[in-house]
Amino acid sequence: MITPYGNGIDACWENIFAGRTAISKLNRFDTSAFQSEYAATIEGLEYHRKDSLVVQMLIALFGKSKGSIPADAKLIVATTKGEIDLMEKKILTGQNDISENYHAVFLKKVSSIAGTKDKGTIISAACSSAAAAIARAAAMIKCGKTECALVIACDSVSEFVYSGFSSLMALDKFTAMPFDKNRSGLSLGEAAAFVLLMSESRASKENREIIGEVLGWGLSDDASHMTGPSRSSEGLILALRNALSSACAVEEDIGFISAHGTGTVYNDAMEMRAFNSVFKDRKPAYSIKGGIGHTMGAAGLVEMIIAMRALREGKIPPTVNLKEADTDAEGWISTRERSIPKNKIALVTNAGFGGINAAVVLG
Amino acid sequence: MIALCGIGWINKEEYMCVMKGLRVRYKDATSFDGLSKKGIFSYPFKNFGRFDPVSKMVCYSVALALKDADESYSPDIKKDMGIIGTNTDGSLQSDIDYFKDYVDCGRKLSRGNLFIYTLPTSPLAEAAIHFGLQGPLLYITSGCLDVPLIIRTAEEMMLLNETQSVLAGVNSKDEAVYFVFKKEPGSESPALCNVPEAVSVTEKGTSLQETAEKFLMLKKRKCLQ
Repeated sequence: MITPYGNGIDACWENIFAGRTAISKLNRFDTSAFQSEYAATIEGLEYHRKDSLVVQMLIALFGKSKGSIPADAKLIVATTKGEIDLMEKKILTGQNDISENYHAVFLKKVSSIAGTKDKGTIISAACSSAAAAIARAAAMIKCGKTECALVIACDSVSEFVYSGFSSLMALDKFTAMPFDKNRSGLSLGEAAAFVLLMSESRASKENREIIGEVLGWGLSDDASHMTGPSRSSEGLILALRNALSSACAVEEDIGFISAHGTGTVYNDAMEMRAFNSVFKDRKPAYSIKGGIGHTMGAAGLVEMIIAMRALREGKIPPTVNLKEADTDAEGWISTRERSIPKNKIALVTNAGFGGINAAVVLG
Repeated sequence: MIALCGIGWINKEEYMCVMKGLRVRYKDATSFDGLSKKGIFSYPFKNFGRFDPVSKMVCYSVALALKDADESYSPDIKKDMGIIGTNTDGSLQSDIDYFKDYVDCGRKLSRGNLFIYTLPTSPLAEAAIHFGLQGPLLYITSGCLDVPLIIRTAEEMMLLNETQSVLAGVNSKDEAVYFVFKKEPGSESPALCNVPEAVSVTEKGTSLQETAEKFLMLKKRKCLQ
């Protein structure tokens, strides 16, 4: 994966454990009219050039990995806004032909960069896009439709998205502080990541190292509001229960929760209500969005990769930027790293506009 | 068995409920926007006038599909039904409208009420809110009007017990069609066909109107047998 911390999982992992944030003053476009001037961006990306920001990320990401992707892998791309910066550029320069933004063109670029024969599909489920894509890939494998799927997730910080979140008053003036008593909004971030999912038999046939397992998932919708999360958390509660049930897991199996934790007052409160409703005992939980910002359609995949690393290393990341946990998050969220008891599994949650909830169980 | 139990289709001149054999040319009586007051919805649709055109089209089509499947809905009861949508270009027109408006405002003022329609899932979310759909909600596209893709995705969701029923549909600029699929439908939900048959009807790339008409012919054929 590539995140505002740099290229690779190690860079993200180490910086989160060091408690460092990659959110800083944004120089990509003029932010003086907006609610904030901060975001987490990837160094070296060029804005409004020939290639879109996400294509630049994917080229950097697949530079070394292209050869290891099986030719028959189904391609699933999770994104909310894809190459939106190309559309911005055309409008700003008075060009009327916006066909370059069509999905088919984007998919062609992604399959070429990743080296898949499959032309691919795009899945969009707001900020639960990556989790929804993982669920669909796992479903295809479970239903015998394919043996392997390449899931790519990507989104970028653009003037389009930044101005929109600012208009909704969703941004923290400085850096997001998920689950903190004094949190006041999210910080936008950008990232690209990929995972290769395979059936167990195919992975063992190819002698692939198995990094983690998708044990189950639950997707739901609040059916209550376009931008605000449910006041009763019923949608996320439903997703959590469905995820545990589909993973044949019980509360005691869950070692930790990688929460969506955007840093907005309402999202974090909604999540804590759901966790408190589903789990009798408090579980270690964390959010990485104080470190890399909210990477939208890519968030779920980056978070799943970090959760899988946590399972392997037996330690739970701290929540970057947390100063004092909000009352409802006490005993769940911490500034410190914690260890995971043996034989535990992980739960990753995401939520997005339109009330879209996702919970994925990883082993 | 996963069965197709209802189909709602609409364009800017007429609409159809396939299972009920209902085809209405409304253009002579009312406008596209005026349809919202003509009994398409079971109860008033909050803020419908503020929706972008695609959201209106999708919500009309969903209402017709639910009516066709005899699937009732109310503002107080939410249901275990997912919704999957597809098209060729996501929310492109809403994206253009939002950003042009922002640029016209000197890149100083952006409108949240335009921004919320810049996700391809926004029309589906509006439908989920009004019709109380609490199942999985997602947008999927292969870059073309790929109806079999959404039918197969709906089938997988139901096979794996993610939800018991799914609204799956597609919209282009001027028309939309939505299908109601149910897992193990009871006798109160007459089924038109199963998933393989639905896929075979939709596999040949035709317009959405032609797709709806093909299902209408299938229904007539089955009634005659």
